[in-house]
Amino acid sequence: MIDFAIYMTTIVCIWAVLAISLNIQFGLTGLVNFGQILPFAIGAYSAGIASFHGLPIWVGVLAGLIMGPLIGFLVIFPTRRMAQDYWALASLGIAEMFRLTMLNFRGIAGGVEGTIVERLSDPRVAMAVSVLALVVSFIVAERISKAPLGRLLRVIREDETLAATLGRNPFRFQVVAMAVAWAMASAVGVLYAHITGFVDHGSFMVIETFIIWTAVIVGGPGRNLGVVVGAIIIQAMSVSTRFVAQWTDLPSDVVANLRLALVGLLLVVMIMYRPEGFLREKKPNYDVKS
Amino acid sequence: MTQIFVNSIIYGSQIAIIAIGISLTYSVLRFANFAHIQYAVIGGYATYVFHTAFSVPIVLATAMSMVFTGAFAVLIDRIVFRTIRHVTPEGKMIASWGVALFLRSILAAIFGGSALFFELDTTTIRVGGAIFTTLDVAVVLVTLCAMLAMHVLLRYSRVGVALRALANNFELAEVRGIPSERMILLLWFLSGAYAGLGGTLFAIETQLKPNIDLLILLPVFAAITIGGLGNVYGAVVGAMILSFAQNILISIDFGSLVGAMQWYVPSQFRDAVAVTALVLVLLFRPQGLLKGLGGAKP
Repeated sequence: MIDFAIYMTTIVCIWAVLAISLNIQFGLTGLVNFGQILPFAIGAYSAGIASFHGLPIWVGVLAGLIMGPLIGFLVIFPTRRMAQDYWALASLGIAEMFRLTMLNFRGIAGGVEGTIVERLSDPRVAMAVSVLALVVSFIVAERISKAPLGRLLRVIREDETLAATLGRNPFRFQVVAMAVAWAMASAVGVLYAHITGFVDHGSFMVIETFIIWTAVIVGGPGRNLGVVVGAIIIQAMSVSTRFVAQWTDLPSDVVANLRLALVGLLLVVMIMYRPEGFLREKKPNYDVKS
Repeated sequence: MTQIFVNSIIYGSQIAIIAIGISLTYSVLRFANFAHIQYAVIGGYATYVFHTAFSVPIVLATAMSMVFTGAFAVLIDRIVFRTIRHVTPEGKMIASWGVALFLRSILAAIFGGSALFFELDTTTIRVGGAIFTTLDVAVVLVTLCAMLAMHVLLRYSRVGVALRALANNFELAEVRGIPSERMILLLWFLSGAYAGLGGTLFAIETQLKPNIDLLILLPVFAAITIGGLGNVYGAVVGAMILSFAQNILISIDFGSLVGAMQWYVPSQFRDAVAVTALVLVLLFRPQGLLKGLGGAKP
């Protein structure tokens, strides 16, 4: 039981960081990133590629931390010229392209079979590091959100032209938000690889992106505490369905599919009836007259 | 060489039929409907069920499936999309992903993950150096007819004019007395029916699995982006450009470049061609290659 609690905490922390990362992009800045799994995959594959080619662990860690924000910059670059819904398509496509590259070229990191990564032997250490990652990400996200930078990012989210008329270049601030968010996500990607001890393309499907999106939409876009709660709800839901599989006689793949159906349903219902999420973003009001 | 041409036409036809539906709904409702891909897969399964379980002849089964998916798309609109008409395009897009995730998981839960095949009798035809089957001919002919029908409907019928008016300027069209909600129902029905047809053709040509949606998703969205979102004619042209690019690329021997005897781009890598095309078009011509070439305003 205690092993299970440790495992659960680890997983929840990792997904909560991914949700916070998406929240900085979407909730705060208004970037519709449909490829949120990409920075996570970059982190995990940095560890995987380092291990596959026999390099020391720190190379993988360092590569993950650098490549995340760097590729983030390449991905955000086209937004200068395109509307959000087009960029959403592009980000989705780029994330899939990365996955397909890893799947089809065996020489990079094992292709279909994936690759083994050195595993953190003590699950309690793994949990401690994940909790630390969550705490650090949360503090960083909160600091950004409360700082003048966060205020400006919200202006960009609500009205890019307005931000530009205030003499701020929206693109520069989107790049900053993106770099911070992707650094977080790729850092937990590296961590995830070392916790599971294995990297393959199956962990980075399009569906995973939408599980993160559901956590953000359910929790409350724009509110860091909200998206953490959202991540907990989604992960708790997917774990509890495993118990449902044990109690009922349904085959496990059917239960897995019904679980995903439930995630989809939750996403739709939230947007229909409560698009601000369970924990509403507190929008500050500045009274000009007083 | 003729083989590449033939393959490109066949694959392009399958993609184009599915892409038309997304462009159609985008032109009026202004959001990219990701659930459309699932409508196509549902169409494939519906045809399969009609054909095998009720032993309906394949042509009739396909027609029934088109009506079924059309009605299904209308139903989803009544339940979900109608209530979120006022939401931002991003919100609608995310909701459509939710719908897609839901439908795909339910399909997988009902039919399981294994592949189903349509067992149709086909004969092989050789023309010049190219080999194809009677089925391929049927697929291309059906696609041509469907495109022609859509063209005639949009250009020469009253409802077509109404749909184009809504696509061009929604508020103005409403003010001029076009019943927008009823036209939106028609729009969803058409879009769903074409998805059903496209999904059936796709499934007949390859196989039927809940996760063929991943094979359809990228090429279809690349096609509509190349052609300009919301441009029905662009979707067809985009699908053909993409299909030719993919088939030509995977048939070139890059051996001399990489220093091996023979090296071809792996055929699963076709999707990477789609994504590259999508990103390049978005970078250099975000409005699509064919903006303003008739049809709806993108």
